[in-house]
Amino acid sequence: MPLEPAAAAQLVAENMRRSGFPLPAPSDVAYAWARPLNLPARGSPMLYTGALYQLMPYAVSLLEYTSRLEGTAVSSLALKVSRYFTQLAAIAIRPDERLKAYVERVLRSIVRLLERSGIKVAYPYEDDLYSGALLYDLGLDELFAEQAKKVYKALKARGAQEVITVDPHTTHMLRSIYPKYVDGFDLTVRSYLEVLSVSPSQAGKGEVVIHDPCLYARWENVVEQPRRLLEGAGYQVLEPRRSRRMTYCCGGPIEGIAPKMAKKIARVRLAELSERSKHIVTLCPICYVNLWGAAEGEKVSDIALLLAGEEG
Amino acid sequence: MKAFEEVNRALEDEELQLALGKASLSSQLKVEEVLRSRPELAELAKEVREIKKRSIARLDELIEQAMNSLRAVKATPHFAEGAERAREIVGKLVGSGKLVVLSKSMAAAEVGLREHLQSLGNEVWETDLGELLVQLEGSKPMHTITPAVHMTRRRAMELLRKAGARVEGESIEAAVRAAREFLREKIVRAHVGITGANALAADTGALVTVENESNIRLVSGAPPLHIAIVPVDKIVPTLMDAVKVAMVQAAYAGLYPPTYINIVAGPSSTADIERTRVYGAQGPVEQHVVLLDNGRLAARGGPFEEQLLCVRCGRCQYECPVWVHTANHWGGPVYGGPMGLAWTAITHDELEAGKLSFLCLGCGRCDEACPVSIPISRMARELRRRALTLGKP
Repeated sequence: MPLEPAAAAQLVAENMRRSGFPLPAPSDVAYAWARPLNLPARGSPMLYTGALYQLMPYAVSLLEYTSRLEGTAVSSLALKVSRYFTQLAAIAIRPDERLKAYVERVLRSIVRLLERSGIKVAYPYEDDLYSGALLYDLGLDELFAEQAKKVYKALKARGAQEVITVDPHTTHMLRSIYPKYVDGFDLTVRSYLEVLSVSPSQAGKGEVVIHDPCLYARWENVVEQPRRLLEGAGYQVLEPRRSRRMTYCCGGPIEGIAPKMAKKIARVRLAELSERSKHIVTLCPICYVNLWGAAEGEKVSDIALLLAGEEG
Repeated sequence: MKAFEEVNRALEDEELQLALGKASLSSQLKVEEVLRSRPELAELAKEVREIKKRSIARLDELIEQAMNSLRAVKATPHFAEGAERAREIVGKLVGSGKLVVLSKSMAAAEVGLREHLQSLGNEVWETDLGELLVQLEGSKPMHTITPAVHMTRRRAMELLRKAGARVEGESIEAAVRAAREFLREKIVRAHVGITGANALAADTGALVTVENESNIRLVSGAPPLHIAIVPVDKIVPTLMDAVKVAMVQAAYAGLYPPTYINIVAGPSSTADIERTRVYGAQGPVEQHVVLLDNGRLAARGGPFEEQLLCVRCGRCQYECPVWVHTANHWGGPVYGGPMGLAWTAITHDELEAGKLSFLCLGCGRCDEACPVSIPISRMARELRRRALTLGKP
């Protein structure tokens, strides 16, 4: 077991205090991708990523790093003293470069897709803070509440009334959880998949099988829109045995604590998905990374790239 | 980490992985089919949620009413605050040197009843086939409804033969036939039959059980003494409510229609001679019902209260992406899987449940699967929160 739950929680908390992110990453990790786009830094609707996509290349490297350390003297000491571990990890961890380029393409595609639908977004750059999703999931409630208030304040200060999110975890946090932790929360929150205009169905791009992320499907009712969007982009959307509200998890959420189990779950899901098509569409960066990491010949694509015609 | 050692071993057990993969797929398809063909059952499940919610809200009153109703039908009610008291009550009723037959009961497992009665010098046999296999293996139930889900037929045969059952051939039918013969002889001779219950009706003192094997009706109907151990969360206001609970449990376990729903209200009796009621006809002469608290009453008003609505169908287990790789090796010492986390917190140890809750994906499939809409994944998060706040997991 690379990380024990308490050590993982401690590590996350320590990183949040140091850098505002749950794992070691550079300070411009959230917004470096958007620098060349020169989006207005104030206004509404505001594109807010919550940095989840951007953190994935670092998460992958961190997990490889902790797995390598497993059982060594450094690990037992460092994991006990998370402060040192955080420092050590910050130096040692380089992002997965292929994944870094991939998520940056996804994010830029999302901006282009919004523009094509006539939606000009502002972007908060330095204030594209981490949403706190992992803090909430782990049960680090005090830290989460602090972070939620910070994010809300920053977005409001930049003139946001409507917020457009890019992944299910951030969407769920802002739309369904923040209102319970932030007094007077009054932002309208929608996933970009809910605001893009849907073109009439067309054929020609071939078949894909859709993997619904748990939070969109079971909590946020983002179920039909992605299908219509894919059809409008020319794809025939196939359904796995378990889809929509009864979708099956990719295993990603326990990758840090139980990687073997996470991988087994991903394999079960991949096998089920690939019964319908070897081309799998994901709507969430955690699903993407976990299915991509366990794939054995299946192709995994983020929906944004398919909709933008950047990947086929 | 210690709490996950059992899980890691399970992951390496290829036979277990194969068995669970097969069983979970078959259960999922079966329940889906039942619910698709009988849309009224989902409606009934909603009704049962309301029945159970109302029951938990007035549980003190219902316990008292149930005890009075039990007395009225000539059963003897007992109240056990904890596992030890439950063992003590049943131990005293059974004594020693007896032949005891049990039908599968998670409540009995919760208080360690079989082991206790054996330690008093009784011969004790499980009569549910799956549970018998678990007893013979010396393991624990791996699923709420299908306790031997982890075993292959080869393993089952081996255990039955070792116990002295005459299994002729290698077919599953042969194993079932041998078990029937092996158990039938014990049931006929048994001094005591012990069952659980799916529900207890406060208005009548009627116990409702649901099953396919017919072992519960034999265990509760043949021996002269019948003891039922019933967790207090299973008490509902009326007999009609109790039957509804049983129907929903069966449907969401994929066993619909259930082969048997049994209603037992008091010991057997006859008034055939001069219309004089005499207790102890062909069935039990005496019936005792032990109401088990063991943390349930204290759970009311707390973060895990909604677990008390659980009808123990075990669907959350078969639908959980983690459980289908671990069975009840994850979730707690008795209750396992998604439902096991909060049950472990209520009846055993909150911190242990907290440690185990870090393996929950938070994916919410269990919430969707639950017939009575228990927010299982939300409670798992609450367990993590409390574990990090209250103690180091």
